[in-house]
Amino acid sequence: MSNTSPTRPEADGSVSLVGITKTFGNATAVDHIDLEVRSGEFISLLGPSGCGKTTLLRMIAGFEQPDEGDILVGGASVVDLPPHRRPVNTVFQSYALFPHMTVAENVAYGLRQRRVPKDEIARRVQDSLALAQMVDFADRKPTTLSGGQQQRVALARALVNRPKVLLLDEPMSALDRKLREEMQIELKLLQRELGITFIFVTHDQAEALSMSDRVVVMEKGAVQQLGTTEEVYRDPANAFVAGFIGKQNFIDATVSSPDALTTADGSIPLHRLPQGVTSGSSVRAAVRAEVVQVSAQRPNGPALQGTLAGISFLGDSIQYVVLTASGLELIARVSPDRAEHLSTGDTVWCSWDASELRVFEAAA
Amino acid sequence: MVERPDIRALVPRASAARLSRRAFLSGLVVIGGTSVLAACAKSTGFAPSALPDGRVEGKLNVYSWGDYDDPSNIRSFQKSGTSVQFDSFGSNEELIAKLGATRGTSGYDIIVPTGSYIPMMAKNGLLEPLDHRYLKNMGNIDPLYLDQSWDPGNKYTVCKDWGTTGFVYDTRAIKRDLLTWGDFLDAATTEASKNVALLEDPWEVACTFFAANGIDPNTTKKADLEAANEYLVNTLAPHVKAFNSVAVTSGIPEETFTLMQAFNGDVRQGLLATDKPDAWKFVYPTPTANLWMDNWAIARGAQNMDAAYQFIDYILKPEVSFREVDYIGYSTGIKDLAAMAKKHDFSYPELVFPDAEVIQRLTPAEVNSSAGELVAILNRMMAKAGS
Amino acid sequence: MARRKVNGYAAIGFPTWAYVVFFFIVPLALVLWYSFGYKPDLFTAHANDILSFDRYAEALDATFVGTFWNTLRIGVIGTLLCLIIALPFAYWLAVKMNPKWRPLALALVLVPFWTNFLVRTLGWQIVLSPRGFLSDALQNLGIIHGRLDILYTQSAVQLGVVYNYLPLMILPLYVAIDRAGRPLREASADLGANRWKTLFTVTLPLAVPGIASGCLLVFIPLMGDYITASVLGGAQGNMIGQLVASQFNTAQNWALGSAMAVLLMVFTAAAVIVFGAAGLIIRSLVRRSRRVQLQGGAA
Ligand SMILES: Nc1ncnc2c1ncn2[C@@H]1O[C@H](COP(=O)(O)OP(=O)(O)OP(=O)(O)O)[C@@H](O)[C@H]1O
Ligand SMILES: [Mg+2]
Repeated sequence: MSNTSPTRPEADGSVSLVGITKTFGNATAVDHIDLEVRSGEFISLLGPSGCGKTTLLRMIAGFEQPDEGDILVGGASVVDLPPHRRPVNTVFQSYALFPHMTVAENVAYGLRQRRVPKDEIARRVQDSLALAQMVDFADRKPTTLSGGQQQRVALARALVNRPKVLLLDEPMSALDRKLREEMQIELKLLQRELGITFIFVTHDQAEALSMSDRVVVMEKGAVQQLGTTEEVYRDPANAFVAGFIGKQNFIDATVSSPDALTTADGSIPLHRLPQGVTSGSSVRAAVRAEVVQVSAQRPNGPALQGTLAGISFLGDSIQYVVLTASGLELIARVSPDRAEHLSTGDTVWCSWDASELRVFEAAA
Repeated sequence: MVERPDIRALVPRASAARLSRRAFLSGLVVIGGTSVLAACAKSTGFAPSALPDGRVEGKLNVYSWGDYDDPSNIRSFQKSGTSVQFDSFGSNEELIAKLGATRGTSGYDIIVPTGSYIPMMAKNGLLEPLDHRYLKNMGNIDPLYLDQSWDPGNKYTVCKDWGTTGFVYDTRAIKRDLLTWGDFLDAATTEASKNVALLEDPWEVACTFFAANGIDPNTTKKADLEAANEYLVNTLAPHVKAFNSVAVTSGIPEETFTLMQAFNGDVRQGLLATDKPDAWKFVYPTPTANLWMDNWAIARGAQNMDAAYQFIDYILKPEVSFREVDYIGYSTGIKDLAAMAKKHDFSYPELVFPDAEVIQRLTPAEVNSSAGELVAILNRMMAKAGS
Repeated sequence: MARRKVNGYAAIGFPTWAYVVFFFIVPLALVLWYSFGYKPDLFTAHANDILSFDRYAEALDATFVGTFWNTLRIGVIGTLLCLIIALPFAYWLAVKMNPKWRPLALALVLVPFWTNFLVRTLGWQIVLSPRGFLSDALQNLGIIHGRLDILYTQSAVQLGVVYNYLPLMILPLYVAIDRAGRPLREASADLGANRWKTLFTVTLPLAVPGIASGCLLVFIPLMGDYITASVLGGAQGNMIGQLVASQFNTAQNWALGSAMAVLLMVFTAAAVIVFGAAGLIIRSLVRRSRRVQLQGGAA
């Protein structure tokens, strides 16, 4: 990274969304969203396809008008400003580089609109390309670049304007896995260094968790949970969030006592009952695949018995699929060095630390 | 009879443009027929025509100008048991090209060429000689329209209809009486200057000068052509507003011009369309003007001979012929049509049936060696007028 | 193996070269061949037993040159007018219009093409006539005093060619603007450009190929058009196509007509080259103005 970074914003890059709603025809894309993004924060919008992430981002950028609500950037309302007057820049999913301009001309575009003097443009374009490690490609046309190179140009083109807020809509979806992981690290470092607010859209939970300070999990146009990556991972607010973050096993059960659940395959212990859930009610328990142990011997504590139906090697872990007598399918991911030697058809026992079990009210 | 607005042939060939009823159907044709003729003249392989045998065939194929026959006549002819199929062409060149290329296998029985093309069509064997024994009604034709220079003795053709060229002027703009082509040229360069329409037809335009100066309109003399060029290009052209063969039918009601060279039947259409017909005067100018004629002929290779003769003979009946006149707006050359027109309250009969004395002085246009120079003169006039 | 490949290629390539040969090279070669011949007699349109350049000398007289300039003026002005009218329309179609209605709008653009070229030109004769409704309307509105005097003038031809060729300009422009695409316009706005800046720095530069093909599609057939001029033109607005047509039709002189046609093609091509070169110069100036000279860069 260049240490001549010129792009530290002096102004406040906070973003506030107040009761934002957007409908297309009779479909609600964004439904009364309130969100406070702190200045200099890396926040991810995470959610399944069609949940309204892009729409939300486009409203912040000004390409869509919210039907209701207000958007403030740095404390000032921007809803009445056209896109070209908003202090935000966007890195588009498809990069949207201008094909008729060279890389340097693309990067200079925003500065030229603001009538920055010619020599300053040259300097800032140079710096910005250096930051994106694209100086050597300054005179190439975007169509001659690889996906990762194009993405860096798109980033340089946005950052050169020193926006208070940078919006990124799935900028890495076109990259292969290795390149994506490299870029994730670079992007995160860059964001730290520049102190710009990043609002980052993705539907890849691993990407969101690895880069963000905080994560917004959305579904059907509404926020399901807002929290640090740790909070969202460890303490999902509801079954949807739990299901979306990590690989979850869901077990339908009844609360038999304050510290135990009865399932079709036997009783399992409970660490604590969530508020509002009483004995006798139906619940949905969730346990992440990473914390499930699979063993041929019955462990000391409570465990569910089943038959090993499948084994697959995922690289950094081994995944077991266990079928219980009631037909419940449990998935366990075990690191290879801790795995027992098992084969399909074996009778196995699944267990986990009681504190890892989350209990949610059963959906109506 | 009320005319509906016509879409007329715009082939810059006089013969096509002069007939209002020859509705434009076939498109603008640039396929010339003559080179095809040149090619086929060398080989003799023409399919022979069938001989008439007294048995009338059940069908007949006619190749004519678009919308050039009264549909009610066709319907009543078909009652005799022969169905008639019409195809249309847009220029004589197209007709010749088709016949030349198919060498007697075109399938057409009856065709309708213009008089000046007949000598070359006959010479190249495209036409079947007519057996006058099968055309009992030929006697109905006024002798004025028989035995024309381009088909002596009506060996190949009989008159379908004919017309002539004159001029029409707005009496509010031109207050004197114009009678001759000399008067026409004089008015064109004075009162009517910049409001004159000439036909887009080299022969017709040149004829104004030749006729006004007592020269044969079919002259091929170099001196005559040079004099015409000098006057038409340098004197007349700057006064001309348009060279347009179809201007008159809209030009009279729309009052776009004050003086227009025009074909007689087209002027009648213009007068029928205007609400101020009294303001206009049409002249059959002296000393002469074109007499053009479209003709019935039988194509070489015709397979329905008896039906073809029967159809032509049928059309030559006076009452049938009068319906033709009413439909197409030009005279068919049958005797006593003028009297029938009077009986039927036919409007402006004088524009369709000029006096015999007028007819006598007309000169049929010939396609001769001056044709190329006449085209060049017209092109120079157009360039001069536009400069 | 190699041989099969060649055969396979030839089979796939067949339609393309067949088109070029039958619809382009053969007719062009014939016209070129005729142009070196002559008209031997009255009833023969051409002969090629004696070859010469004489027809070119004959064709290239003052009439031809004068009419060519007249035609070139009509062609250039007509093309520019088409461009000026088609640009906002195509932009509106590609950018502003609800995509739902786009197919309908495009179909409407093509409606005039459903009628014969001659018929729709004759239609304008009625509209423009001095006693027509347009004339009456303009007089009633006090815009003109006295009857509309435009029919059979050069202005009428100008109007006629714009009407007749406008769809040929709109369609490629629409495709080009549509292809430039909304994401790029949004990117431009995102970087601080207003609508006009976006139009001139992104949308139009990307539409240049469409603009060029639209101009060619209008200019080239327009240069050879003679129907519009015959119907609406009168003496003031005659075009070179009429000269060529009169040689082929009326004079039946294919040799001279072919020489004129070849000259028309050559002159039109020359005009296209001149305008194309001017366009390239403008483009390089635009490019130079936006070039970014990095300082001490590794570039
Ligand atoms: N212009 C539009 N017109 C109509 N509906 C739209 C429009 N844009 C978005 N929508 C709808 O709004 C909803 C939210 O769409 P949005 O693009 O915001 O989803 P997303 O979360 O970005 O999904 P993805 O992860 O697939 O990109 C979807 O149901 C979509 O169909
Ligand atoms: Mg999206």
